[in-house]
Amino acid sequence: MQTSVDKKLEFSEIGVAEKGKSSDEVVIGIAPGFGKHLTKTIIDLDHATVLRELMAGIEEEGLKSRVVRMYQTADVGFVGHAAAQLSGSGISIGLQSKGTALIHQKDLAPLENLELFPQAPLLDPETYRAIGKNAARYAKGETPKPVPTRNDQMARPKYQATAAVMHIKEVEHLDSEIDTGIEEEVEFK
Amino acid sequence: MGVDIGNATTEVAIGKIEAEQEFNFIAEGEHQTTGLKGTEENIKGIMNALQQAVQEADLKLEDLDLIRLNEATPVIGDVAMETITETIITESTMIGHNPSTPGGVGLGVGKTVMITELDSCSAGEEVIVVIPAEIDFAIAAENINEGLARGIEVNGAIVQKDDAVLIANRIDKQMPIVDEVKFIDKVPLDRKAAVEVASSGGTIQELTNPYGIATVFDLDADETKHIVPVARSLIGNHSAVVIRTPQGDIEEKRIPAGKIIAFGESGKEKIAVDQGAEEIMKSIEKVQPLKDVKGESGTNVSGMLERVRSKMKQVTGQNLSDIKIKDILAVDTFVPQEVKGGLAGEHSLENAVGLAAMVETSQLPMQQIADALVQELPEVEIEIAGVEANMAISGALTTPGTDKPIVILDMGGGSTDAAVLTQEGNIHTAHLSGAGNMVSMIIETELGLEDFDLAERIKKTPLAKVESMFNIRHEDGTVHFYDEPLAPQLFSKVVSLDEGELVPIPTDHSMKRIRQVRRDAKKDVFVRNAVRALKRTIPTGNIRDIGFVVMVGGSALDFEIPELISNELSNYGVVAGRGNIRGMMGPRNAVATGLVLSYLNNPRWN
Repeated sequence: MQTSVDKKLEFSEIGVAEKGKSSDEVVIGIAPGFGKHLTKTIIDLDHATVLRELMAGIEEEGLKSRVVRMYQTADVGFVGHAAAQLSGSGISIGLQSKGTALIHQKDLAPLENLELFPQAPLLDPETYRAIGKNAARYAKGETPKPVPTRNDQMARPKYQATAAVMHIKEVEHLDSEIDTGIEEEVEFK
Repeated sequence: MGVDIGNATTEVAIGKIEAEQEFNFIAEGEHQTTGLKGTEENIKGIMNALQQAVQEADLKLEDLDLIRLNEATPVIGDVAMETITETIITESTMIGHNPSTPGGVGLGVGKTVMITELDSCSAGEEVIVVIPAEIDFAIAAENINEGLARGIEVNGAIVQKDDAVLIANRIDKQMPIVDEVKFIDKVPLDRKAAVEVASSGGTIQELTNPYGIATVFDLDADETKHIVPVARSLIGNHSAVVIRTPQGDIEEKRIPAGKIIAFGESGKEKIAVDQGAEEIMKSIEKVQPLKDVKGESGTNVSGMLERVRSKMKQVTGQNLSDIKIKDILAVDTFVPQEVKGGLAGEHSLENAVGLAAMVETSQLPMQQIADALVQELPEVEIEIAGVEANMAISGALTTPGTDKPIVILDMGGGSTDAAVLTQEGNIHTAHLSGAGNMVSMIIETELGLEDFDLAERIKKTPLAKVESMFNIRHEDGTVHFYDEPLAPQLFSKVVSLDEGELVPIPTDHSMKRIRQVRRDAKKDVFVRNAVRALKRTIPTGNIRDIGFVVMVGGSALDFEIPELISNELSNYGVVAGRGNIRGMMGPRNAVATGLVLSYLNNPRWN
């Protein structure tokens, strides 16, 4: 029997993302290249897996997720901040192609956050699931314990060059003409 | 100048004789007591407090004529905790943990089958599927749907990962799903099992009812008797699994915790700690006044009591045999502990007894402190004056609105001391074990904190919940708004309000629960001790015969303890309240003030 899924990520643009009205949603803001021009994180984890785990974490807590692609910035803090402004609950997750993520809240300054996961090489599917769960629990007004993260001093020197290249690729897809977030419908096929 | 060395704080007061028989208080100082009360290490704290006071009065240390030290009551308390029950599940009969997000709703009964073996089941068979972590939720859901399509009655699921809602959202039939079952490989297969999930906000109904379980498993009267502990242990859960195995059982075992032997003037009482606090306290009261308390040798209680004794021996240099335990306070509490044999890492609240013991010796070496102080301040005369309780009463009487007969309750960190001044001017005192430290210990264990400082903080400050970046809700329900956003790390947290500063409390207990534990602990220790202290000190033994109770000492500064005690004592028609020494010092500085005042009554100086 097959035990794990191997699915492709498919996006279809719905249009300009509006501010949500339901308080049971968490908006996942993604950087411009995510899952489209770039398809794997810095440690070759499929973007399909990353997004599926985040969404599963939110769903398991009984909330809904929306995915919004940002074109004005590739900075994870600003992506998360913009997504939080669109979220009915005020809670969002910011996500870059290389895998860096954070949990944001609408009243926080762009460079602040509720939880930050800066070391993308250490983020595995279980961590993304936990990030999704925690974001949903903040949205419910609960008091989750921060997601435990590892810290590897060697991650920085080892991945610095790759990270820079990935960021350059991500930035190529910025589009100053699209000044709103674009709502994406996500399918795993 | 009066100097009072307490267990936690050293306080001083400076008075100046203005006219005949008239004192004018000109300055106060206070500092944390350095070292254990009654030792030479105290000098540092005394000097700091003195410096503070003379600076305030714009004097020099040499300007002081006389320093009066209190004859400190030689009382030291210590606390310990003893767990007296443990829950053991044998043969994996039930999974009673509370995953935060089970899936589906209702009661499902069937034979346990590994999801990979679902293919081999035949149509019409009633099953509960077991889903280990390596199986993705989408695939598990697909398999269940295929099984349902083939006519297999899948009635519920037991899942290892936190996937219950995800699976429930993807299957064609509503069924109860319990997840986060850590040791799923230990779930017995091919056995009849029942899975129940309550609707949101509710608790399970069938599996908490012995007859419900009997109905599901076709039990006879005898077997139903055996299942009662299982049903009982599931009460209050949102989800549960019960599996029928031949020898399966769950039991609550009492741990032998040793016996306490209380020697009183009117006889001897032997009581097992696992009888609980109520019984222990009854036995202690029976043999009042206590001469000594010992623990059955080789048990934990005995170890704890000996520790208190040896600590006191270090301070006083007396023989161990001369140090007697004069009071014990026992309080029933709960300790969250992992259930032995549980499949999901379940926790249950086990009964425990918290014990505070208090030791009295003949004398603390105050003369040594006085001698050491002379070295520091050769120009000033230093004397040891007055019994602490008398000084405290004299100080407490400066509280506006008080009169004889009066009781003072001195509530500190290690002990609760009481002194009564009768209409005729007689003074009776009592020293009881159990005070602030015991409250902290109960908070620490009941909330499972493993952090004494955090427990102390919870004890001392009111709580609030951060509801948004711009507002908090206090524990009394009122809301406070902020103009500037709060710090991100406070978002959604339960916080303690430390003089307006918000400090997050790193647990996932709700504000309501933390508040409940905190208030119950304070009631158990302080309210109980207040009543005990009054009964012992009042000559008639009747609390109604006293008019005024003044609370002093560190714990009287607490934001709710005086209120809890006032409430209780108002039942007896007693005026009880926090002291306000000299109409301005609050419950602090009573002894230091008394030391200064009593100078006037000292014939040597008149």
